Amino acid sequence: MREITIVPLQEFEVPLEAENIRPDIFATLSLEEIRDLEVWEGNRRRYLSDLFSVAGNDGTGECLIRLDGDFSRVKRIGEGMREGEILVRGNIGMRAGSGMRGGSINIEGDAGDWLGREMRGGSISVKGNAGNYVGSRYWGERCGMRGGEIEIEGSAGAYLGDHICGGQIKVKGDAGDFPGASNRGGAITIGGDAHLPGAEMVSGTIVVKGRARVLPSYGFQETAEIEGQLLWKFVGDLVEKGKGELYVALVEDDGQLDK
Amino acid sequence: MIIKGGIVYDPTNGIFGEEMDIFLEKGKVVEEAKGKEIDARGLLVMPGGVDAHAHVAGTKVNTGRIMRPEDARSGLEPKTKLLRPCTGYTVPNCYAIGYRYARMGYTTVFEAATPIIESRHTHEELEEIPIVDKGALTLFGSNWEVLECVRDDDLDKLAAYVAWGLRASRGYGVKVVNPGGGEAWGFGTNVKGLDDPVPNFDTTPREIIRGLVKANEMLNLPHSVHLHTNNLGKPGNYTTVLDTMDTVKDITSTRDRQVLHVTHMQFSSYGGTGWRDFESEAPQIAEYFNRNDHVTMDMGQMIFGNATTMTADGPLEYNNARLLHAKWSNHDIELEDSSGVVPLVYGRKMPVNAIQWAIGLELALLTESPWKTLLTTDHPNGGPFVNYPEVITLLMSKAKREEEMATLHELVAKRTVLPTIERELDWGDIAVMTRAAPAKVLGLAEKGHLGVGADADVTVYDLRPEKIDPARDHKRVKEALGRVKYTIKGGEVVVRDGEIVAVPRGRTYWVDASVPEKDAERVQVDLVEKFEKYYSIQKSNYMVQDAYVTDPVVVKAGVI
Amino acid sequence: MIVEDVICPFCGCLCDDIRVEVEDNKITKVNRACRLGASKIRGHERIKAPMVREDGELVETSYEEAYQRAAQILYQAKRPLLYGWCSTVCEAHKKGILLAEEVGGVIDSTATVCHGPSIIGIEEKGLAGATLGQVKNRADLIVFWGSNPAEAHPRHSLRYSTNVRGKFTEGGRSEKKMIVVDVRKTRSSRNADKFLRIRPGTDYEVISALRMIVGGNGDLLPERVAGISKDDLVDMAEMMKAARFGAFFFGLGLTHSRGSYKNIDNSLSLVNELNSHTKFMIMPMRGHYNVGGFGQVCAWETGYPMAVDFSRGIPYFNPGETAACDVLANGEADAALVVAADPASNFPWSVVEKLAEIPVVQIDPFENPTTLISDVVIPSAVAGVEVEGTAYRMDGLPLRMKKLVTSSYPSDEEVLDGIIKEVRRLGDDN
Repeated sequence: MREITIVPLQEFEVPLEAENIRPDIFATLSLEEIRDLEVWEGNRRRYLSDLFSVAGNDGTGECLIRLDGDFSRVKRIGEGMREGEILVRGNIGMRAGSGMRGGSINIEGDAGDWLGREMRGGSISVKGNAGNYVGSRYWGERCGMRGGEIEIEGSAGAYLGDHICGGQIKVKGDAGDFPGASNRGGAITIGGDAHLPGAEMVSGTIVVKGRARVLPSYGFQETAEIEGQLLWKFVGDLVEKGKGELYVALVEDDGQLDK
Repeated sequence: MIIKGGIVYDPTNGIFGEEMDIFLEKGKVVEEAKGKEIDARGLLVMPGGVDAHAHVAGTKVNTGRIMRPEDARSGLEPKTKLLRPCTGYTVPNCYAIGYRYARMGYTTVFEAATPIIESRHTHEELEEIPIVDKGALTLFGSNWEVLECVRDDDLDKLAAYVAWGLRASRGYGVKVVNPGGGEAWGFGTNVKGLDDPVPNFDTTPREIIRGLVKANEMLNLPHSVHLHTNNLGKPGNYTTVLDTMDTVKDITSTRDRQVLHVTHMQFSSYGGTGWRDFESEAPQIAEYFNRNDHVTMDMGQMIFGNATTMTADGPLEYNNARLLHAKWSNHDIELEDSSGVVPLVYGRKMPVNAIQWAIGLELALLTESPWKTLLTTDHPNGGPFVNYPEVITLLMSKAKREEEMATLHELVAKRTVLPTIERELDWGDIAVMTRAAPAKVLGLAEKGHLGVGADADVTVYDLRPEKIDPARDHKRVKEALGRVKYTIKGGEVVVRDGEIVAVPRGRTYWVDASVPEKDAERVQVDLVEKFEKYYSIQKSNYMVQDAYVTDPVVVKAGVI
Repeated sequence: MIVEDVICPFCGCLCDDIRVEVEDNKITKVNRACRLGASKIRGHERIKAPMVREDGELVETSYEEAYQRAAQILYQAKRPLLYGWCSTVCEAHKKGILLAEEVGGVIDSTATVCHGPSIIGIEEKGLAGATLGQVKNRADLIVFWGSNPAEAHPRHSLRYSTNVRGKFTEGGRSEKKMIVVDVRKTRSSRNADKFLRIRPGTDYEVISALRMIVGGNGDLLPERVAGISKDDLVDMAEMMKAARFGAFFFGLGLTHSRGSYKNIDNSLSLVNELNSHTKFMIMPMRGHYNVGGFGQVCAWETGYPMAVDFSRGIPYFNPGETAACDVLANGEADAALVVAADPASNFPWSVVEKLAEIPVVQIDPFENPTTLISDVVIPSAVAGVEVEGTAYRMDGLPLRMKKLVTSSYPSDEEVLDGIIKEVRRLGDDN
């Protein structure tokens, strides 16, 4: 596979928007054409090569993009991508892989907010932590992520999988407040703790292998064994006549643990 | 300016497809003029389009924007040296509204509903809509003063209140929405028919409609009462509409126009007893129009895809939201009315939606005279106004209708008669429905035609009517209707080849109606009491100030 | 001279019955206003002249020089933030949005630190609202959640809610019920018929429990929810259902406690569902008098009510990324214009520190802590006292603010116009 390596030439004073850093866009372009792609530095239009060194195989064809260095202030990488791979050896900025339909993004460092927003397919993996709104929806829309997979080795921020309608999110560490809110068919697994999972969930599943505070609008059903661990199973969110399944290892109630 | 050699359709002046030159000077059509020549040889030329009913400004519209950031993700157009940036499809920002109307050759648009107390807001937005001329219709259907005057059968006082309300709102005409229902919704109920009493006010929708129509004619207003019927949007409501139209038949119009305009008729032409046996009763409605001349209507055509419903009919929107589990905004307005906003999606495979779509077309095709059926989508209730080219081509091409019907739920063939309708409208009919008739219905003497003295608002389409068959080449026609060759507004070229080239400010029409002093004084006595006891603001802060209508066209009317 | 029916430029109540006495172009007496409003109308010491920072000191200069300096800062910036707008009129908002377009900036209001979460909730669910007069004439049950009107909106109860008489509420307070939900006792809770004291950060759970009861699922609830007994919750839910017309007002106690916009989202659903039992409305208690107006203007001009990013010439809206606090906290902004607000007092300290690191232009009649970190300071006339213009009440009702005295200062609108002209000149030069 063709490989293109991109390295920042400087620290960025203001964030960039670089939705053209996308393997399926690169695939049809020569190296020179890639260097001429548009990137926005705040309100200034730039060429990719103004701000990054771009090296690798010339010609066209399916593409692996290596991002070497700190991309934490570069937004929208891999937005809408349908195929190919992005490998990030460092951190990545906001809205990476949003609206993505295929291919993969593998991040060795941390990811910013809105990772995989409205994602429909493909896969994203993060070795470090991810920010808020992973796999969520855009404001006012009914659906966030509809397909694909997101795996986070570290922890995720608040509003994980907000309005998720399909696909899978796995977080090894903790999630913040309100993971899986308004879930309509997605599957979320959280290795650590979470606060008020599944608010207004209609369908789908949320598994919390650590501790969580459970909404009063959830009905306790039974205990269940998942991956060798005994969990409490709840159904809800009943305020939305929901039939979503929520599994929690340790239920937090008013500062104490019971059940 | 001279528009040379166009094929002109100007129905008001009896011109249907004649090759002629149009002369413009100082913002008016004149006998003869010199200056710049616009080469329109062989091209379709019409007066600038007039939209008599669209929700384009005010609290409801902005509520739609605020609750729908997802809508603003579409319709994006960047800022240029000349243009402000644009957003939105069903609830576009103000600039997008002006630019998009102009690109379709429209030069006048009327906001369909403004409550008096929030009209300042309506005008703030109208002021920001560029290019087009505009006006707003003022809501009177549930105002306490109206209900009390009607209850007391005090028509003189009612007329005086209407005159004052129009002035206070800088409004153009009398809009009535679900009469009495806005008040009932204040405590969460509704009125269910013309004779259902309005709670706490001892009157009925029938009395409100009759009272306001009479007051409207006493005031000799340019436009008639503009009515959104009771029971709108409900299966079986066509009987309410027929009854409503009959109930004003004995009232004589004081002008050369209808005595009642029933708006977005599509939503009021429903048969059936519920959503399961829901069907079209458009033929019954059309037949009524073919037999009677005292009423007009607009289509309220439905367009598949996203819409944002918004209306002063608060209970209707609550029911919509419950039925569809959709976002719901409600806004009740003290002493005056209610309102609601609900986004929804019309689906081709949804039986009800497919039938609704057909009903709008049936109304326009089965009503013989195009002068009685204005072309609207009740923007953005039936769908956004940018779809007018779609509606026009549907009316002009049976082939297009058949192509569309093939993609719809099959009930469209069983519950409507649309598949049996052969009629294809011609350019003359379209010029009537989009220009001449809306201007006549609104009572805008200088709009909708190209006679000497008319406003210099002209559309030149990139279409050669003598060479193109709209029934067959509907795709090409639709494209040309959406991106005109020229729009000329007030004598200035504002659109060339589909691009905005100038952004003048439009003017705002409002009606100043005089009434006998004794009646005006009696109204003031009532109002002083209402402000002291019930309104939450001071009377002196109520009326829209001149600062909000910077380029007014004040139309005089009244009793004396 | 006595000016009647003056509109108060303090809080979102926008009281319009104030009587002001003016002698020799000076305000001598303010009647009917609350203490907060009267003090705002009287005003206090003004910034005397435009100032620019030179060698660390603010030194006086001309308006022309100040406009040029401001324009240079904003024009050169790659990601300027245009922030504030809560205490000025809509005419200034329009100019501010135009300026943001011209410089490719991010524009946001003080909603970012007050009712921004409420707006996000509305984007999710819509808002079942009404004008305040509707509440006055009809409401027999009033809920204040995380809101203390007795201190923050002193005339709210007398003009619009608990202590006013209207057409269907002729008995006044005696015929109305008042419920207060808060994490502490307040002056407002003292007057309540029912006070529900909840633990901080548990609002969402309590609202969900109320939704369960209203929806007929109360039997599935545990005996206590977040420390509140089920009986108490059932009692409150029954009071709400039994009302003829209920009004739910919420304040920063709900929007800025744990749960943020989800708390509002849930409250909007609760009120929505109450409407299948009776008539109920809900409204945020807006703080500054015209923060609501900015939301209106911004929505009709850009399609979005706040947090709009023009950096690519097309409005982009994404609170969490483009709100003023986000743009500053993430170190994105490289310059700021602050108009009619005081972020140095109202933002979290870590964010203020970021603001202090970048060039700041301030437009304001009065000196405030933001002045101390500003590089260009442009004094303006006081909107609603010295300048006419539009403001939107907390219920969305627009009123025209009056001019009571003549000022030698330019209005905010004029100042912004001056800066826009300079920005355009810079654009033409390049």
